[in-house]
Parts: sequence; C-alpha cells; structure tokens
Amino acid sequence: MKKKVFKILVLTLVVLNMFYFSYPQKTVETANRFNIFAPRSLYWGSSGQDVKTVQDKLLRWKYYDGSVDGIYGARTYRAVRRFQQKNGLNADGVVGPSTAQAMGINTTSSSSAGSTQGVNRNADEYLLARTIHGEARGEPYIGKVAVAAVVLNRVKSPSFPNTPAGVVYQPLAFTAVADGQINLTPNKDAINAARDALNGWDPTNGCLYYWNPATATSKWIWSRKVTLKIGKHWFGI
Amino acid sequence: MNRKNLIAPGILILLLVASIAWGYEQLNVKQNYEVALDNHYQMLFHDVKTHVENVQVGLSKALVATTKDKNIMLFSQIMNDANSAQDKLGQMPVSHNDIASTEKFLTQAADYSYYLIQRHLNGEDITPEQRKQLTDLQKDASAFNGELSILHENMANPDYVYGVAYINEMKKGEKANLEENAFHTSLIDFESNVSKGPELLYDGPFADQMLKGKPKGLSGENVSVDKAANIALDFFGKGKVEDIESFEQGEGTDELRIPTNTFHAYMDNGKKDLASYIAVSKKGGKVIWMTNPRPLGKKKLSNDEAQKAALKFLEEKGFKNMEPNYSLNYDGYTLFNMASKEGNVTIYPDLVKIKVALDTGEIIGMDASLYYLAHHKREIPAPKISIDDARKVLKNKFKLSSERLTIIPKGKEEILAYEFKGKYGDGEFIIYINAQDGKEEQILQIIKSENGTLTF
Repeated sequence: MKKKVFKILVLTLVVLNMFYFSYPQKTVETANRFNIFAPRSLYWGSSGQDVKTVQDKLLRWKYYDGSVDGIYGARTYRAVRRFQQKNGLNADGVVGPSTAQAMGINTTSSSSAGSTQGVNRNADEYLLARTIHGEARGEPYIGKVAVAAVVLNRVKSPSFPNTPAGVVYQPLAFTAVADGQINLTPNKDAINAARDALNGWDPTNGCLYYWNPATATSKWIWSRKVTLKIGKHWFGI
Repeated sequence: MNRKNLIAPGILILLLVASIAWGYEQLNVKQNYEVALDNHYQMLFHDVKTHVENVQVGLSKALVATTKDKNIMLFSQIMNDANSAQDKLGQMPVSHNDIASTEKFLTQAADYSYYLIQRHLNGEDITPEQRKQLTDLQKDASAFNGELSILHENMANPDYVYGVAYINEMKKGEKANLEENAFHTSLIDFESNVSKGPELLYDGPFADQMLKGKPKGLSGENVSVDKAANIALDFFGKGKVEDIESFEQGEGTDELRIPTNTFHAYMDNGKKDLASYIAVSKKGGKVIWMTNPRPLGKKKLSNDEAQKAALKFLEEKGFKNMEPNYSLNYDGYTLFNMASKEGNVTIYPDLVKIKVALDTGEIIGMDASLYYLAHHKREIPAPKISIDDARKVLKNKFKLSSERLTIIPKGKEEILAYEFKGKYGDGEFIIYINAQDGKEEQILQIIKSENGTLTF
C-alpha cells in the first residue's frame, strides 16, 4: 500500500515537472508575436494587389467564393481562417509571414515604388488598432474610437511624447501594454475605430486621459477634470 | 535495504536537483534581463542630463549673441537638444503625473526655438518680451539641470530606487516606501516649480494658446440637452431614430475646446446594439460629428455617385459651396475631404470629412470639428503678386499639372497662397507660394496608395 502511494507521488512529480519544463513552447508563442512587425500583414480592411493575390489563390483552392476585388472583407477573412485551420496555422484571419509562406506568396514587396516607397499610415493604424483591442475590447464602438483619439490627442500635447508609438509605449501609461495584451490580434471593429480616429473623429473633443473607476488604482487620476463617460471609461483633461 | 527501494528516492532526488538547476537558470536569465533594462534606463538618464545641459548653455549663449545668423545656429541646436531630452524623458520608467510639466517645458522650449528661427529668417528681431521669456527659460533649464545633478549623485547610493526596481514597487502598489529614496520624488520639485511658471507666449503647434483656441465658427446661445437631442433627431431625419440617449457628463465638459452634448441614437431597426453616435455643440447647437458603425454590404455605388451623395448631404445640412478635395477608399465606404470655396479661392481650414457607405449611399460619418474651429467671415485680400511671378519660385524641372488660389492655415493665422500641383522626378508634390510676398510656405508630398491619395 505504502509503495503504491509512493509510486503515485513520484508519477505526479514527474508529470508536474513535465509541465515545468514545457516552457520552451512559450518561446514559440513569443516568436509568433513578432508577426506584427512583419513588413506587410494583410488583415480585415486591407486592400490592393496583395489581397487580390490571396483571394485568387484561395478561390482556386476552393476556400473562397467571392470576387477577386482586392478588398479584404468578411468573405476573405473567413476564407483565410478556413485555410489557416486546414493547414494547422494560428487561425487569426491575418495573412502574416507564416500564412503567406504557406500560400506560397510574398507580401513583402510593396506595390508603391520610387521616392514614396513604404510611406503610408498602415503602421500607425495597426498599432492603434492593437492598443484599442488591448485596452477597450469590450467597449461600445464609440468607446474604442475615443481610446484611440486619446492616444492621438497625447501626441499633439506638449506634456506627452510626440509620436503614437512614444505615447503607447510610454512606461506605466497603459496597462494593456504592460501585460502584453497589446500584442493580441485586433478584430475588425478595432481596425475600423483606429481608422476613424486617424481620420480625425474625436468623440472626447480633446481629452488626454481615461480610466475605469472600477479598476483604476491611481488616486491622482481623480484630480483630472472629468468630462464624459463612454461605456465603462471616464474621460478627462 | 535492497536495491529496489532506492530507485524511487533516487528519481526524486534527481528531479529535485533538476528543478533547482532550472530555477537557478531562470533566476540568472531574469537578472540578465533586469540588468540590460536598467542599463538602458541609465543611458536614457545620462542622455537627458547631457541634452538639458546643452539646452541651458545654448540659451545662455543666445542671450549674449547679437547677430541673427548666430542665433539661428544656436536655436536649431537648442531645438535639437530639447527634443531629444523630451523624447528620452518620455521613455524613462516614471509615471506621467511626475513628469508632465517637465515634458511640456522641454517640448515648448524646442517649439519656441523653432518659432524664433522662423522669425529670424523673416528678418525680425527678438522683442524685449521674448528676451524676458528666453531668460526665464534659461533659468528653468538651469534649475532642472541642478535637480538632475543631485539625482545623479543619489543614483550612486545602492538603496536608491530606480529603473526596474521602481516599476516592480509600483506594481506592488507600495508607493509609500518610495517617497523617501526614489527617482520620481526628486523630479517632483522641478515639476511643481516649472508648472507654476507663466505660459510661454508664441505661435507654434505646441503653444498653449494654440491648444486652447476657441472655435471661431460657433456663435449664439447655449442649447439645452433636450434642444440638442432634437437637433440630433432632425439631423438623422424624421422617424429614423427610435430612441436617443445622452452620455453621462462630468463638470469638466465646458473646458474642452468644443463643449458638446453627445448622444447614442438607436435607429428604428430594432437593433439595440447598433447605435449611431452624434455630438451637438452646446454653443449654437451645431452637429460637430456623427458616426454610424453599421456593417456594410456589397459595393453598389461608383465613386462619382458617392461623391454626389456627399455633396447633396452637405448642401442639405447647410454647408455652402463645398468642394471635394481628396478621398480614401476603404472596405465598403469612401471618405471625402470637403473644403469650402469662396469665389475662386479654396479655403482649406474649413474642412468637413464625410463617410459615404457604398452599398446604399447613406452618409455613415461626418466630422466638422475642424470646420467649426476655423470657419468665420473672411475678408479675402487681393493677391499682391501675380500667379506668373509666383510660378517663378518653382524649380526648373517641376512639371506643373494644376494651379489655383487657396487659403491655408499657418499656426494661428491663415494665409493666401497659390497652390501648384505637379511632378518633380518621380514624386508628386503640392507647393504653396505666399500670394502676398512670394515666400515658399509649404510643400506637401502626395502619396498614392491602394486606398487613395494621402498628403504628407
């Protein structure tokens, strides 16, 4: 009897240790995260020749049944996800380097050439979308635009860094950055909201702060002037 | 004891040793990361100190210098150092409320230098008030530098909480322990002093007056929430909205640049989760922005039809003489930028953005905030130089495709300028030449993307 207990104990420890040692898997995950820095990822809302190539391939392989119009919409999204599931890829509906490789296409070559090569707002747009997704996933649409607008208002304010990335990654500024949630793949709503904010829509009319009264730990934040409540967030200046 | 009895404890001991080894390895890795991060923070701190020293010395020299040429050199160096200091300060592990005024001080020092460079290039001298402001800036820079020197000495103390240790303590919420011996406490002295100083008066993108300017296009009485709700209902059209609900407001609302009443509008389609949003200004009761994030169907409209829908909408909402400028195509909608026109002059500051859904031609978004900030009755002066003379400013090989007279924003002011669109090399540009004095005011590069045209 005693022996049996002992054996079980050893077995449990071995199993536990296996979990312990399984940490290299995490490195794979982290490596995947860096997809976001890929030269060009295609996602919901992308458009252009690269999207056409993807749609063409998916159409021929019977994943896609829409028209090859070069606009990454709902149908393309679903087709990409089906492709990813079939091929054992992370089914996030984003054509990053690994998915592009599996399709046998090269998305790194940008169609714009000459002196304006690579100049666009896609990088800012995707960074804002990730910020929205990390910070305000469960919020109404307008609350998402508002969070992105606060980031852009900070860029324009002298008291904050002067670039979107500087503001987003400022130490101790956003909890979603500190805990890595910013690296999740943004959904379509987040991308649309980021776009609206970049195009000038500002539901906060110039606010620099927002906080969730249920989770905010800083007392200082309550010394701000409160202006508007959208969803769970209070906005202020 | 027989051998069999040794196997189980043996395995256990092996596992234990392996676990300890692994744990030690993890500890090492963690320490390496922390050291690397702390080293980076140290570098940032030393750089900030160097840059602030340069700003301080540069300002002292600028007060002594007498020629404009020398001052331009000095101010460009000050601008560079102040920008770098601000950039690096924003990356340090200190919470925003401890450095907000300090960052503002550095941003404005850079912005102010740029403003003075422009003035010098226009041949204007430093006024006595500006000299006083420069003296104040120099004093502040020197006070800040003094604080940084004390900090530098403190950082040699091993108990001093800085960098990774500070972030860890912040996470634990043990701020009480940090008050005595921490990096951020030392910054607060300068922070509170500099925030008491007077506002820097100048014209630049980061100037207080620029950020606080009141809208020129709104006048009249303040409207009540009920009146605003009615204006919102009228805007969507009679019978379109089932229910309208105001957002909760705080007492700071009236201190925003455009105080508004903001509403959810639930459309008469039975879908509670698909609200539209609309903001009506308190003063004058104008619709400032609207957005309808409904899902979009298959594209049915051509770009021309969409543009017509946008223009018709603007006409109905009382925006007179609007002219489409550039547009962006997205998944299911097109965004138009419309500027107003007076006679043959395009007025860029009066800008309204319109989103047209390409499935039904419905207007799913409008942003008129820039329009109401800038719009006023303008006395457009006659240009002092002819378009032929202005064209001479352009580069020889610039291939012109179109030209017109426009009003463009310049800081707080607006200026009358000739707009020349064309190609140089393989790039497309828009060049603005001041119609009063022939100065080259602005150059924009046109970026053609799959979505449409952007200007940088």
